[in-house]
Amino acid sequence: MKTGESTVIASHRTQFMPLAFIRTLEKRFVQQVKDFFLTMQEFFFFSLRAFMAFPKMIRYWRDVLDQATICGTDSIPIVLVSAISIGALLAIEVGNLLEDFGAKTMLGRSTALSVIRELGPLLMGLMLSARFGSRNGAELGAMQISEQIDALRAFGTDPIAKLVMPRLLAALIMFLPLTALSDFAGLQSAAYMAEHYHRIDPGIFWNAVYPRLVAKDFVVGFLKAPVFAIIITLVSSFNGFSARGGTAGVGRSTIKGIVVSSGLVLIANFYVSKIVLENM
Amino acid sequence: MIELRNVSLKYGDKEILKNVSLTVRDNTIKAILGPSGVGKSTILKLMLGLIKPNKGQVIVDGTDITGMKETALYGIRRKMGMVFQGNALFDSLTISQNLGFFLRENLKLPEDEIRLKVAEQIQFAGLEGYEDQLPESLSGGMRRRVAIGRALIFKPHMILFDEPTAGLDPVSSKKILSLISSLRHNNNLGAVIVTHIIDDVFNVADSVAVLYQGEIIFDDVTEKLHESEHQFIRSILSDKILEL
Repeated sequence: MKTGESTVIASHRTQFMPLAFIRTLEKRFVQQVKDFFLTMQEFFFFSLRAFMAFPKMIRYWRDVLDQATICGTDSIPIVLVSAISIGALLAIEVGNLLEDFGAKTMLGRSTALSVIRELGPLLMGLMLSARFGSRNGAELGAMQISEQIDALRAFGTDPIAKLVMPRLLAALIMFLPLTALSDFAGLQSAAYMAEHYHRIDPGIFWNAVYPRLVAKDFVVGFLKAPVFAIIITLVSSFNGFSARGGTAGVGRSTIKGIVVSSGLVLIANFYVSKIVLENM
Repeated sequence: MIELRNVSLKYGDKEILKNVSLTVRDNTIKAILGPSGVGKSTILKLMLGLIKPNKGQVIVDGTDITGMKETALYGIRRKMGMVFQGNALFDSLTISQNLGFFLRENLKLPEDEIRLKVAEQIQFAGLEGYEDQLPESLSGGMRRRVAIGRALIFKPHMILFDEPTAGLDPVSSKKILSLISSLRHNNNLGAVIVTHIIDDVFNVADSVAVLYQGEIIFDDVTEKLHESEHQFIRSILSDKILEL
């Protein structure tokens, strides 16, 4: 090859390589956007089918009870641990802060608002996203990989009615008492720390809690329970159903389920508070 | 009877099946032979309506199931029992519960009758004493027999087997093949067997379709396979097991 020819080829490469690279990037971006909207569409129909399967709850009542045990009774320890620790921590920190303003007697009120409106349901949501969501993702993912979900369909059973609806219904029922438990445990531990750390009389603490709580505070807190139940169950189950590629695929789908549902729980927590507080 | 008419299927850019046509007649055993990953199991899923083709038709007993909705397909699927490659037994259910799953889910039978039918299948599969065990505690051959029993319990017209002897020791393989042969003689059943083991084809199949690079390159009675001049078929006849 002559020197002149090689120079021409080299100059072509320098001209076209970045263009080709940009085109590939553009193609990949378009594909990713397309995939995202396709996934959203699939998720929408998946969720719709889960809700439409509610009339089959009588047929699958045993599955609903099993799932209620898993997401409700079995989750009590983790909900208690997180609520007690955050309630105690909140009492210490907020108490210290209020002491600077000479308003330590307001500790009950500020702790109650934080726990009932925000931290009680939020912590419960995050803990259940990790516990119940990961279980759903891994279990359903393993069933998908081992063709058990195909087997259900082959035997004339709707896998969403059999596997997802009971999980969704159980979560909708059990997240409410778990929120109440989380609130109760958080407030009790805060009261304990107020008495033993800040030397506040329990009567003063509780007097600042009960008379001042209004319906709005409970609505904000308890409305989050069904919202989180829907997010956690549907996102984790959808990811389980979408698992591909062996055991590594199950791991990927489980992680994705937890990350996405936890993120959505945080976002939903903000918007539920905002909407209710602005409108009540 | 199950018919695939000019079926094509793509996963993304990859063309899995190209214009595939084949027929499975009642009371006959048809084998689909080909190397792994060529789309053999996909054909079984197409027959059950678990996946839909991009082109062509799937016809079961004269009904075109290609565009059918999931709920409408349940009735069609009751005509066919499926034995999945990995057995797909429900691992949280005992052997008895796995066997009785379809009956409890879909037929409003009295519990006594269900127990009787489950006991029949337990006996047929030679699994007496294992009724209350979970699938994980059984050997590969036993699990395969449970999967066959589960597919047979609702008396389908046709059984679809996905690699019925894959991963089994020679003794278990022999048992499974004789079980499949006995189905047609004793129960008047048809079967489709997807396999990459050529000996299985000669042992049980009446006819065979060879799938190669997404296309059917041979579809005739099993005996005529020896007469084929196709290079791929000549090579698998000499090697007996398809190298993957």
